[in-house]
Amino acid sequence: MTAEDPCPYPSYEGTTDSEMPVPARGETATGIERRVFEALETVEDPEMPISIVDLGLIYGVSVTDGVATVELTLTYSGCPARDLLCETIEARVEQLDPIETCSIELVWNPPWSIEMVSANGKAALESFGVSVQ
Amino acid sequence: MSSLSGPDVLSADERAAIEALVFPLADDEFVLAERYTEWQVRAPTLESDLALANVAQDELGHARLWYDVVADLGYDEPELLFERDPDAFYHASLCALPFETGDWADAVVRSYLYDTAEGLRLDSLAGSAYAPIANRIERITTEEEYHREHAATWIKRLCVDSEGRQTVQNAVDRLYPYALALFEPGEPTQTDVIESLGLRTESLPSLRGQWIQTTSTFFDSIDVSVPVVELPQGLPEDPGRHDPHVAAWLSLYDDFTRTYRELDRAHTPTITSEHNDG
Repeated sequence: MTAEDPCPYPSYEGTTDSEMPVPARGETATGIERRVFEALETVEDPEMPISIVDLGLIYGVSVTDGVATVELTLTYSGCPARDLLCETIEARVEQLDPIETCSIELVWNPPWSIEMVSANGKAALESFGVSVQ
Repeated sequence: MSSLSGPDVLSADERAAIEALVFPLADDEFVLAERYTEWQVRAPTLESDLALANVAQDELGHARLWYDVVADLGYDEPELLFERDPDAFYHASLCALPFETGDWADAVVRSYLYDTAEGLRLDSLAGSAYAPIANRIERITTEEEYHREHAATWIKRLCVDSEGRQTVQNAVDRLYPYALALFEPGEPTQTDVIESLGLRTESLPSLRGQWIQTTSTFFDSIDVSVPVVELPQGLPEDPGRHDPHVAAWLSLYDDFTRTYRELDRAHTPTITSEHNDG
């Protein structure tokens, strides 16, 4: 690759998951926010056997006064599973006590790329037959 | 750096300027996507059928992202699309123009002209003062680049012989004046506000100049001539965004709103988000 080539993916070489600003994986989350991440880990991408947390679609989670806010991105703008994913996330998160409402904020910056997939997620995709190299 | 962080901090004047900027973006993408879908199962190869279907899906995705921006200002999806008066759409006439029957050159030339304009327009919004606009640009730009590559590759492929080149030439002659209207404002009275607020960082005439240069260089390189269009004389009869092919637009509008009307729904499944949009 030369300097002129458009590079479709940002490079995070040499950084670990926890040093990247996004995606969020909840590694350092505690209490109810940790439980929200655990609930999100049960939500799979509709096309691949990988959780949306490992896929890197979650950019942030916060809980205030019974309201959970989940920052979510999608792998591309025309994703036909947007409503399905949002409804599934809301249903799973709202099952958690004391959360009453789950509010989803769709975010697009920075755009998702394959580099956002976790190491576990990449292994799962490889075994599923999707190349992530 | 964005100075207008989101819909909650806007004055009435700022809202009006944002709407004037975003409605044409959304409507161009949506209406062109509706036209592209007519090529489904009719493109010349399975590969190109898939590719154009994908381009249409991308453009619908981009339309959804732009309609989300105005939805956050208080519109719902029926108001934005299915119950909006056809006269209140802002798309440039290029997007709604019917394809010449079976003319694949029309499809790929139109895509090349549109996507080149789209790339320039997105660049001029990357530094927008309104954060929800600026935040979308990289996501959309990445997807648009493939469209331009696809169209340019097909145009070159058609130009390998004189018969094919003539079909490209005919499409360029026909479409080029309409494409110029992509650089017309949706609401001319808002242009100064859009620029003084920094919602767009380059003027429409400047973008149009760059577009003419880029497209002319490309067509020159494959021996296709670009019509000399002296603004505004060479433009279609109505040089603004409003559609001179009103009957064709009304027919397209009738098509994409038919299911909504016939089901007589009080509520429709949305393509814009009910969720807060960052």
